[in-house]
Amino acid sequence: MNTLIAFFQKLGPEMLQRTMEHVYLTFLALVIAIMIALPLGIYLTRCRRPKLVSAIMGAVGIIQTVPTLALIAFVVLIFALVGLPTIGTLPALVALTLYALLPILRNTYTSIRQVDPSVIEVARGMGMTSNQILFSVELPLSLPVIMAGIRISTVWTIGIATLCGLVGAGGLGDLILKGLRSYLMDYLLAGTVPAAVLALIFDSALSGLEKWLTPQGLKS
Amino acid sequence: MIQFDRVWKTYPGGAEAVCDLSMEVAEGETVVLLGTSGSGKTTTLKMVNRLIEPTRGRIVINGTDIMEQDLIQLRRGIGYAIQYIGLFPHMTISENISVVPNLLKWPRDRTAERVDELLTISGLDPEEFRERYPAQLSGGQRQRVGVARALASDPPFVLMDEPFGALDPITREQLQDEFIELESEIKKTILFVTHDVFEAVKMGDRIALLDAGRLQQLSTPAELVENPANEFVDSFLGQHRFQLSLLTKTIKTIMPELRPTSPESGSAKSEARLRARSSLIEALDLFKKTKQATLPVYEGKRFLGPIEKKQLLKVITEVLGETGETS
Ligand SMILES: Nc1ncnc2c1ncn2[C@@H]1O[C@H](COP(=O)(O)OP(=O)(O)O)[C@@H](O)[C@H]1O
Ligand SMILES: [Mg+2]
Repeated sequence: MNTLIAFFQKLGPEMLQRTMEHVYLTFLALVIAIMIALPLGIYLTRCRRPKLVSAIMGAVGIIQTVPTLALIAFVVLIFALVGLPTIGTLPALVALTLYALLPILRNTYTSIRQVDPSVIEVARGMGMTSNQILFSVELPLSLPVIMAGIRISTVWTIGIATLCGLVGAGGLGDLILKGLRSYLMDYLLAGTVPAAVLALIFDSALSGLEKWLTPQGLKS
Repeated sequence: MIQFDRVWKTYPGGAEAVCDLSMEVAEGETVVLLGTSGSGKTTTLKMVNRLIEPTRGRIVINGTDIMEQDLIQLRRGIGYAIQYIGLFPHMTISENISVVPNLLKWPRDRTAERVDELLTISGLDPEEFRERYPAQLSGGQRQRVGVARALASDPPFVLMDEPFGALDPITREQLQDEFIELESEIKKTILFVTHDVFEAVKMGDRIALLDAGRLQQLSTPAELVENPANEFVDSFLGQHRFQLSLLTKTIKTIMPELRPTSPESGSAKSEARLRARSSLIEALDLFKKTKQATLPVYEGKRFLGPIEKKQLLKVITEVLGETGETS
């Protein structure tokens, strides 16, 4: 018990601050990823050029296959080449956003494409405009799947954001790195446990939101 | 009125779905597009609300070429119901039926009233069904809602693509009967697609028989059955000729001598009555049900005369002979 109190006395404030940074970084990356992936996903469902669609989906998929550490390294390298800051929040944010794109983009695209074609046909036949169909038919029906994509991205990003300590972006990765460099178990724990707890909290909060957003008629 | 003027549709792949189609659907008339799968029925139908654009030719509604009309306005004025129904799963039954009235910005209470009215005439208790979701309905109930939705804004034109196609035979017949009943009151200009010749005979004022995108015959059901225009029509009716004849021949056609002047005979006291436009099948059914030897025939409220069971059976035997020879 005493060791626990001592632990918090020593590391508590820093833990709290790093957690805040971590949440901030994750949140920012997700908001940007949603702002890109959601409209892009919708656009791709409207796109009449199947080659363009598979090119974009493929490119976003490839980002996902690059090891996280390598992706951060690439971003830093490219930033160095074009003269952007290589240390701090910006490169970290770019790497995280790139990573968070895929689940949201893929789920948006596929869930809209999977709306029953006869529903869309009747909607058009009755004289709904393309926007009316999008906002009052396709999006409500796709919302649970899109939310699931956002949830997956969130959980991944919380985990991956620990690596951003490497480029001085702060966050819980900072504590983990400190623990690694100085062989200090308590730093390691102070970075790892909150990251795991954060992932769990966001996962269940977002899955609650997902259920809440599922249209009444689709709940069984 | 819907007019097709030398309409062609060739799909990008090269499939000639509709070839040189010219016909008219008069105001208040139901024309059934009949044909086997792939004969171009759906393509023909969808060209009317411009879900598919013709390659060549003109389609005129209300005197104006549909290509010159505003696409969205055109569609909102044409009811549309399809086999796969396409109810919005996230909307209640009431919301589903309200879609077009809402697009047309009807006042709320008028829409609500209309929803209840349509549910009632569709045989669905508004109190019970209004707030339900499509998933909570049976196939037959869903299809009723699909048809109600197509009629919601009281459009003068209705397009129906095998609307009862996915139902079991009993529910299907029930919905057909309900729709005929409903249709006789609302009198819309209807284009109705089916591959089922019995449904066509039942629903259509006239039948347009299509084969490989070409119109083979456009005539009343009776005319189609009595006078097939060509070999194809003849073979399409095939082994159904006898049954179809019993469906399309009416008391009036087999007993043209019946006149409203005939004096009322004893059998007229009978509760059961035949109508001059009853089909032979209906007459046979009524004889079976009532076990009477004679039944009175009426036209509207006027008594025309009696018909004997023997007479009817004799005609039916003759029909069997005629249709047996040709098939
Ligand atoms: N979108 C399409 N692209 C290419 N060919 C099509 C398309 N839709 C229908 N067809 C072809 O056009 C013909 C008529 O189809 P359709 O109008 O659906 O017939 P029906 O409704 O009578 O079954 C068929 O040969 C079909 O294969
Ligand atoms: Mg069809």
